[in-house]
This record gives sequence, structure tokens and C-alpha cells, in this order.
Amino acid sequence: MFSNLRAATWGEVGKAKEKGFFDFDLFSWMAWTWQTAAFFIFIALCITVMLIWEKKVPGGSPRKGILGLDTTRGDRLFVSLLGSAFIHLAWLGLVGSVLWIASIICVAYFVVVFKYV
Amino acid sequence: MNKTINQKAWFFVIPVFVLVAFNAAIPLMTVVNYSFQETFGNNVFAWEGTRWFKQILLSERFHAALGRQIAFTFIILLIQIPLGIGIALTMPKKGWGVPVCLILMSMPLLIPWNVVGAMWNIFALPDIGFLGHSLNGLGFDYNFTQQPGDAWFTTILMDVWHWTSLVVLLSYAGLNSIQPAYYQAAEIDGASRWATFRYIELPKMKKVLTLAILLRFMDSFMIYTEPFVLTGGGPGNTTAFLSIDLVKMALGQFDLGPAAAMSLIYFFIVLLVCWVFYNLMMKNEAQS
Repeated sequence: MFSNLRAATWGEVGKAKEKGFFDFDLFSWMAWTWQTAAFFIFIALCITVMLIWEKKVPGGSPRKGILGLDTTRGDRLFVSLLGSAFIHLAWLGLVGSVLWIASIICVAYFVVVFKYV
Repeated sequence: MNKTINQKAWFFVIPVFVLVAFNAAIPLMTVVNYSFQETFGNNVFAWEGTRWFKQILLSERFHAALGRQIAFTFIILLIQIPLGIGIALTMPKKGWGVPVCLILMSMPLLIPWNVVGAMWNIFALPDIGFLGHSLNGLGFDYNFTQQPGDAWFTTILMDVWHWTSLVVLLSYAGLNSIQPAYYQAAEIDGASRWATFRYIELPKMKKVLTLAILLRFMDSFMIYTEPFVLTGGGPGNTTAFLSIDLVKMALGQFDLGPAAAMSLIYFFIVLLVCWVFYNLMMKNEAQS
């Protein structure tokens, strides 16, 4: 069922793919892969967690962080995600390989942002 | 007091939600998907990983386009903001001059982008255009279709003509909201014209000016239609700003993967700048 969420490798290009559950024309142009799907699921999960967090502790815990900005939890999530994008891009541009180290840096960055910004 | 809680109103949000999904979320997701794959059309894709991102980040073509884009935005901001403030200061505050000035100022803003491009293209043509022909008649060697410097000059002039009015209108609104008491106090203190501007008018205009800079930054950073119609990114690549280069890559070369990666990087830059300006505006808001 999920086989067509996997992108073809070069060896498979041009071969007829078996029709899977998600393989309707309305959808196939979006070219989903499990990696990008996982990324968007992660974003959706982040938002869901924020929603639950807000239900548990309403108000968004506003504060003035080290940047001198008034931030709430939502701002912190935005800063973390955007910053992570730039960390990954910088890693790709400057180092080029072993991208997962950048991801580890991002986790640390997330923690720092949620604690101090 | 008990407030009735009725969450059914959320159903009214569904149409907007669907609209945003179809014109923003789904295309954005597709761009993310494309940026990791290679395709030759026909919905056949092959996984490429982060190759396109690496390629774009290291490509001289992207660096050059980004450099041109930053230079263009910087130059037009440097011209339009002071010029806009200057014009707003000289505009009449009352009488029949006000509507005349306001209408004259808003005229360029009402013209569609592609029309502005076409107008300036014809206006600047070296053989038959009024500007081009006159400049050549005055002895300048002007040809915006062949000389990069002239192409830049024309593009910047066009943008200044099209958008300075926006800065003028915003500054004018900011100036008009200053209470007369401030000016009276300045007069009593014997403040010079410059001091009045520096210590009363400029701080009072801070909010609208931040907004003006943000709007002009975003618009010029994402500029496409006007230079596309005017110069088409030429001569060579000298006026190919980011979006022109992006379209060349996506539609001209059909390199969807690299183009998707480039548009994501572009998007992150825009988001970052937006965030910075948003915080600046919120800070202004908090101060006043």
C-alpha cells in the first residue's frame, strides 16, 4: 500500500510502476516520498503538540527572551523551525555531507530557543 | 456571567481553509517534494536527496542572482525612502493641492506591473523611445538592451517611478498624524527646520516608515514582471534577479528539482526578513 510513497531509484525510471493505493492522477503529480511525508507529519505533530500544550497551560507563556523580543511558544516554534532550516542549509553549503550532525545541532538549538528566547 | 460557547462557527472557516490549502499548502508541499527529486515529466520521479540544495548553495549562478537581487533592493530602498519622505514633506497640508497631489501620487500605483514594464520598454528604446532617443540626442551612449549599466539604470528608474509614491503616501499619512502642539513647542524652542525633522517628524514617522521599508523590501525582493517585460533579465544575465532566474530555471530549462530547491531557499530568506521586520514593527508598537 505504501510502496508508491517511495520514490523510484534511477534503476526503476521508465519501468511501469504497479498501481498502488495512493496512485490516482489527482495525487501522483505531487510526487510524495516517505521522507518528505515524514517531514510534514513532523510539522503537523509539532503544531498538535503546541495545541495540546496550549490547552494544558493557556496563554502561550509570554516572556522577554535573550533577544529582547516578546515571544510566546508559537514564536519560539517558528524561530526554531526557521533557524533549523538555515542550520541545515549552512551545513549543506559549508560541510556538505553527514547531514544528521546538523539535525543534532538543530535539536540542541530547539532546546536553547524554547528555554531562553 | 455565563457566555454561551458555540464552536459551530468554526465551520464557516472551512471555505478559507480549503482555499488556502489549494493555493498555498498543497503547492508548497509539492515544491518540497520536487526539491528532493529529479523528473523528466510524466509524473516519473527519482530520488536525489539533498543534491539540488547543495548544487544551488554552491552554484555561482545563484550567488550572482542573489547578489544582483540584494543590490537592486538596496539601491531602490536607498533612493525611494529618502525621496518619498522628501516629497511627503513638500506636499501641501491643506487646500486644493492636497487632492491633486494625492491623486497624482497614486496614479503610478494603479498601473499593472506588466503595463509599467511595457511602457518603460517603449519609453526607453534608444531609437524611437522618448527617453532613449533624447539621451542619445544629448550625446549619451544609451542603449538598455545592450549595455548592462543602462539596463540597471532603466530598471531602477522604472521602479522608483512606480513605487516611490507608496512611500510618499505612507510618510504623508504619518506626517499628518503629528499633533500641531509638537510643532508649536519646536517653534517656541527656536528649533531649526532640520531639528524639527530629526527630533519630531522622523521619530513620529518611525512606524509608517518601518512598514514602508518592509513593503518596498518584499516587493522589490520578489520583483518579476517589470524587469521581465523591460529587459527580460538581459543583456545576458545582468538584470536576472532571483525570480527571473528562478523562472528561467523552472520553465526555461525544466529543471524542476533545482528550481524547487532554489525557491525554498528564496522562501526561507523572505521568511527571515519578514520575521525581522515583524518584530521591529511590534517593538515600535510596544513603545508607542
